[in-house]
Amino acid sequence: MGLFSRTDDHQWSQQHLSHYVEGDLGRRARRRLDRHAEDCADCGRGIRAMRALLRLIPGIEGAQAIRAPAGIFDKVRFAGTQGTDDDGAPAPPPDA
Amino acid sequence: MPQLRGPGILDTETRLVARARAGDTGAFEQLAGAHADRLFAVLLRLLGDRGEAEDVAQEVMLRAWRGIGRFHGRSLFFTWLYRIAINEANRSLEKSSRRPVSVSIDAEVLQVPAGTQDEPSRRAEHAQLRQALGKALAGLPPDHRTAIVLRDVEGLSTQQAAQIAGVGQAAFKSRLHQARLKVRAAIGDQALIDAGR
Repeated sequence: MGLFSRTDDHQWSQQHLSHYVEGDLGRRARRRLDRHAEDCADCGRGIRAMRALLRLIPGIEGAQAIRAPAGIFDKVRFAGTQGTDDDGAPAPPPDA
Repeated sequence: MPQLRGPGILDTETRLVARARAGDTGAFEQLAGAHADRLFAVLLRLLGDRGEAEDVAQEVMLRAWRGIGRFHGRSLFFTWLYRIAINEANRSLEKSSRRPVSVSIDAEVLQVPAGTQDEPSRRAEHAQLRQALGKALAGLPPDHRTAIVLRDVEGLSTQQAAQIAGVGQAAFKSRLHQARLKVRAAIGDQALIDAGR
């Protein structure tokens, strides 16, 4: 008898589909999901769906179509001087 | 991708940072302007409202200008600028206590294979998918939405995206995986598989 039940494997696999397609699973974990998906239509479909999602999401990016508004520097031009955050908002973080 | 750069570009950036730190607004505009379109796109994805994104974008530039003295070149300028943007977007969402109704996904920028664009039924399917993706992203908690926008939409590395989000890489990946599972559940496996063909 294996270490995990089929139900355990199924729930675990469903939770790790993104890790799987991203290549974030170690060798043993990947083999566990592979073995389970061979016999589980749901998880096989889940892998295909997750791969499709990752192919589709970058397609929504709008580098060519979305332009910053013309007035994006208006407040900078109006403020003129540096170093005065006067509205209680957190200051920009220092770079790491 | 905002990180298109070579040694020459980095030299230029270093010079612009130095001039901006000395109070040169023109240098700052050149420096930050190189990232303005991408930054605005990120804000639009996070906030889902063009007017609010415009206000926040102006605020981000103001904060970056006022805080440029705190930027020492230890990270890339754009990661520092994006971090300010994420903080400001979250502040704006908290102030208005709302979630975006939908994250705008423009028809013309969804990269559908050329041959399928002429087929009315496929176009309708992709329009539905855009709508579903927009709603699914909008329904995520802000930190999960940020993870998907930075990593999957912007295509940043995990290291860069985690730095911008202000968390470690393990925590960032955990958010990202959770977010993807939620989007997958919201859209449905079969719809994703059909659209991904």
